[in-house]
Amino acid sequence: MEAQKLKIMVIDDENIVGKRLKPVLEKSGDIVETFEDGVSALARFEEEPFDIVVTDIRMEKIDGIEVLERVLAKSSRTKVIIITGYATVEVAREALSKGAFDFIAKPFKPADLRTIIKRASQELNA
Amino acid sequence: MNILEKLKIVKHKNPDIIDFCIETIRFRKLLENAQALLDLFEDGHEKNLGEYILDRHYVTSLIDNVVERLGLMIYDACVLAPESGEKLYTQYDKHKLKAGRLFRDSEDSEKKNSDELTSITPEYKLLAEVLKWLDGEPSEPESTVLDFMVHIYVCVLKSLETKNILKSEALFKGGISKDPGSNIYLVDLWKDAFFSPKLRSLDDINSIPLKYFLMDVYHGRALPNSKNGKKAVTWIAAASEYRLSLSTLKSDFQFRLEATASDYEKSNFIFVFADHSINTKNILPAGFHIEKTDYGRFAWSIDAASETIEDNLILIGRNLFSA
Repeated sequence: MEAQKLKIMVIDDENIVGKRLKPVLEKSGDIVETFEDGVSALARFEEEPFDIVVTDIRMEKIDGIEVLERVLAKSSRTKVIIITGYATVEVAREALSKGAFDFIAKPFKPADLRTIIKRASQELNA
Repeated sequence: MNILEKLKIVKHKNPDIIDFCIETIRFRKLLENAQALLDLFEDGHEKNLGEYILDRHYVTSLIDNVVERLGLMIYDACVLAPESGEKLYTQYDKHKLKAGRLFRDSEDSEKKNSDELTSITPEYKLLAEVLKWLDGEPSEPESTVLDFMVHIYVCVLKSLETKNILKSEALFKGGISKDPGSNIYLVDLWKDAFFSPKLRSLDDINSIPLKYFLMDVYHGRALPNSKNGKKAVTWIAAASEYRLSLSTLKSDFQFRLEATASDYEKSNFIFVFADHSINTKNILPAGFHIEKTDYGRFAWSIDAASETIEDNLILIGRNLFSA
């Protein structure tokens, strides 16, 4: 049976992250949309929920924690994966306590993120 | 002659010995900061292979961390070689300026960042520039951070050689000065290296690196005989449970080895300085990074697994004493 395509949203104000992640994640056949700020990402999420949201934690206007809260308020089944820099482990802990599925520290290998996404996918299908 | 008969424990009574210990501990601190810098270089090179998702923040943090660590290294160097302080801080300022330029380049690249996905992204371009500054092919001679680190070693070791605390006549009265031979004078760096004042076996030595260093010699696979080498050398081994600082007393035969051997891989290292009279190829195992200078050769191996460090120490001990 063909695995169901996942709808993945990637939010990071450093556009390099979205640029590099999009082709890597699309290789698995998933649908990936990238955003450089939380405002436009949440607007898109209002239109249509995503299965997985991968978001940076440090962003202007709306940070990753707010994205997490608003995404889960809208769709509790969505798995939110937090991307964090070296100095934000404390915040990542806060994110986990607020319902984030997992977090990954930058710099990271795409394969590491795919492993987390695979776990998230298994939970979504459980 | 058994190696244990050549080992002489020096008591801490003399203030010069205490000064020597303080100096040794400070030099090791400098090396630990250098090791942390080399770890940063290695991390940068690993990330530059292109497999990672990284952003500008990683590169700017790398620059920040290098500048900070280099500052700590300079501080240690100025304690050991205060006469070089002004010169070293002037050079440090030049590196800070270079770091500042790289920061500005990073901001510019962010502004110019085009929407097209090019084969080399601005973050990777910047990282490549940073690595060039750290230990790459310099556009100007001796302009990398690594060149500067080696320069710091030279300044510090030259200064220690000039001061030569242990040359004091009073220090080894009736000991070293009368019978230089190939004795190894043992100094407790942290009052935990030697179990008993008279060493009967290697088990009486509670210093992992020293024990491995002497292992082959102790088991007769190399003999510490002054007639074997060109020069009769007197050694000072300052040791603690995980550390060994070995140096020579003769100014015309300068060899210095600093080693940490523990279960924690990240803290393990061997650092060697050898003057031009010593052929390091005959002493060091493969895998050491070697830097040649007019003053002598510097070599190091960092982050090695415990077994590798132990094997390397055994080999260096054997090669050194049978050279």
